Amino acid sequence: MSDAVATRAPTDWKTGAMQQRIRRRYSAERRFRLLGLGAVMLSAGFLVFLLVTMLGNGIKGFTQTEVRLDIDFEKSALFIDPAALRGPSADAALAAADLEGTVRTAASSQYGAAGAGLLSESAWLRVREAVKEDPALLSRRATLWLPAASPIDIAAKGEGAPEAERIHAQLEGRNAVRTGFNWNFLTGSDATDPAAVGIWGAFKGSLLTMLVTLALAFPVGVLSAVYLEEYAPRNGWTDTIEVSINNLAAVPSIIFGLLGLAIFLNVMHLPRSAPLVGGLTLALMTMPVIVIAGRNAIKSVPPSIRDAALGVGASKIQVVFHHVLPLALPGILTGTIIGMARALGETAPLLMIGMRAFIASPPGGVTDPATALPVQIFLWSDEVSRGFVEKTSAAIIVLLVFLLAMNGLAIYLRNKFERRW
Amino acid sequence: MKQETELGQQAGQNIMMTARNVSVFYGGKMAVNDVSIDISKDDVTAFIGPSGCGKSTFLRSFNRMNDTIPNARVEGRIELDGEDIYASGMDVVQLRARVGMVFQKPNPFPKSIYENVAYGPRIHGLAAGKTALDEIVQRSLRRAGLWEEVKDRLTDSGTALSGGQQQRLCIARAIAVDPEVILMDEPASALDPIATAKIEELIHELRGRYAIVIVTHNMQQAARVSQRTAFFHLGNLVEYGDTSQIFTNPRETRTKDYITGRYG
Ligand SMILES: Nc1ncnc2c1ncn2[C@@H]1O[C@H](COP(=O)(O)OP(=O)(O)OP(=O)(O)O)[C@@H](O)[C@H]1O
Ligand SMILES: [Mg+2]
Repeated sequence: MSDAVATRAPTDWKTGAMQQRIRRRYSAERRFRLLGLGAVMLSAGFLVFLLVTMLGNGIKGFTQTEVRLDIDFEKSALFIDPAALRGPSADAALAAADLEGTVRTAASSQYGAAGAGLLSESAWLRVREAVKEDPALLSRRATLWLPAASPIDIAAKGEGAPEAERIHAQLEGRNAVRTGFNWNFLTGSDATDPAAVGIWGAFKGSLLTMLVTLALAFPVGVLSAVYLEEYAPRNGWTDTIEVSINNLAAVPSIIFGLLGLAIFLNVMHLPRSAPLVGGLTLALMTMPVIVIAGRNAIKSVPPSIRDAALGVGASKIQVVFHHVLPLALPGILTGTIIGMARALGETAPLLMIGMRAFIASPPGGVTDPATALPVQIFLWSDEVSRGFVEKTSAAIIVLLVFLLAMNGLAIYLRNKFERRW
Repeated sequence: MKQETELGQQAGQNIMMTARNVSVFYGGKMAVNDVSIDISKDDVTAFIGPSGCGKSTFLRSFNRMNDTIPNARVEGRIELDGEDIYASGMDVVQLRARVGMVFQKPNPFPKSIYENVAYGPRIHGLAAGKTALDEIVQRSLRRAGLWEEVKDRLTDSGTALSGGQQQRLCIARAIAVDPEVILMDEPASALDPIATAKIEELIHELRGRYAIVIVTHNMQQAARVSQRTAFFHLGNLVEYGDTSQIFTNPRETRTKDYITGRYG
């Protein structure tokens, strides 16, 4: 054998065939790099397209056109006892007064017969707020800025019908129209009038739902992962459980909705439409994702660390809590982010458990009726009124911001724990 | 059986651990075959033998680390101070605190140097308060010959040390819980000659304070650090005796062949 090695000629790297091989290798590298770059560009392009269209449409949902209205409360037929406005009887006193009529009359006298049509249907609610805040208004002439009707609002944003554009131009000539940030959109709840809708109710609903989901899915998921990885004996039962969990992660979400409906509503009689039930249902869906990610993270902790801890006499639970979990935590958090992000965007299961009702006030707690952001988006996208189009896009932006904030927090936590010395 | 009587005579005065007819199986496969041995308190005992002959497996049965391997099974009897360590009443956690281990590949915790050493005493409640713990950490690092090198960087990561320093850190970690026996599985196999020399020096210094069992592939090392040597082959204990006798005048031809480098 040593003979064969000795007689073999040294490799000549300069021959034509060799050079060609080297060239081919270089071009293969280049090709592959270009392909990869192309793939990244393509997905980045899609992302940019999505963001640009969403922002383009949605940003308008955050502004609101307002029309000026002078109301002479003193001369109006309105009678409200100013004394009644101080104290708890205020709401009753205001409810009895015909503010809606007063606004209509004022609008007609100011802008002609069609004047009332310039204002949104819910404009009088704004007047009610103003009066409640400052009862002194009732004894004088007041200038109020009230939300414009949807056609005017759209015209103000440059997309209205010719007729509405003309009216808007006239109003502008009289300095009677302005566009400002729509705080009401961030603080209000669902309404029938697109000018009056707000996202806060749905946002809070989503927040409460997510809290319930996290509070249930995270500990149960992590504990299951730890048990399956560290304690469970390797036998048929464990295998069955493992296969079931993997399958569960792939089950369509609407089926979890049906499950939630059947168990939490029909058997356990928990309140309908409540974040509690929504959270429980979504937790069922999120748990398998956390279990799978958790097991993989735990599995990837080097066995030498376990040996080291056992070698100085750590008990099993000490090994798990002092060494394995801290090292696995970044991986577990990644899985949790993925699961929670999916849960946050989920609509179908929430529809099944009745979180699609029209809810005009934000939920006070996890058992109050509520809706969630994706469901709200779904409901608004279904509305016929044109004013809802931009509100839908605006709501999508809010959902995306929520998602980004949630992921940002999780990534921050992950990096914090990832400090591997 | 001939071996056993021999072993009985050869064992030193202060016997720390005894193994009697120990066999270890991985599933149906026998890795250690009916081995009996006494470990003396005052000596360093070396296990030598060709790769795959069961040295690590046998060593790991002294502190029941084989328990962590799902299909491993130990038969026979191993005693620590006359107490059967495989008895059902035995507390494995306490056993491992009494019989410490240093692994072949340095495996410090991904925590600070201080934490690495303090971990054992802390979980066993060996130190009352911070100063006592500081004291244990310092003493252990000193004994492991690492103190001078790390005293200014105790909060640095244990994994940021060099291989030899990491191994000495692992030794400091093992002696911090004040074990009675220290098992070392090829503690210097991944180290350069200087780091190896430091570890050997360290073993010299630890001798007498702890019963030490060391697995090694390095004949010179076995000759340098140990007083007693056991030669294993294919799961069997071939010969066990004073290191000087094993290396100069082995009784068995297999031992002689191995030591002179004819196989292994
Ligand atoms: N976890 C395991 N499962 C199955 N067989 C194993 C396992 N660990 C070791 N063995 C087998 O048991 C026998 C003894 O292994 P062991 O690790 O004790 O050898 P060793 O003498 O320490 O070898 P080396 O000097 O190479 O470290 C070998 O044949 C090995 O293949
Ligand atoms: Mg070994």
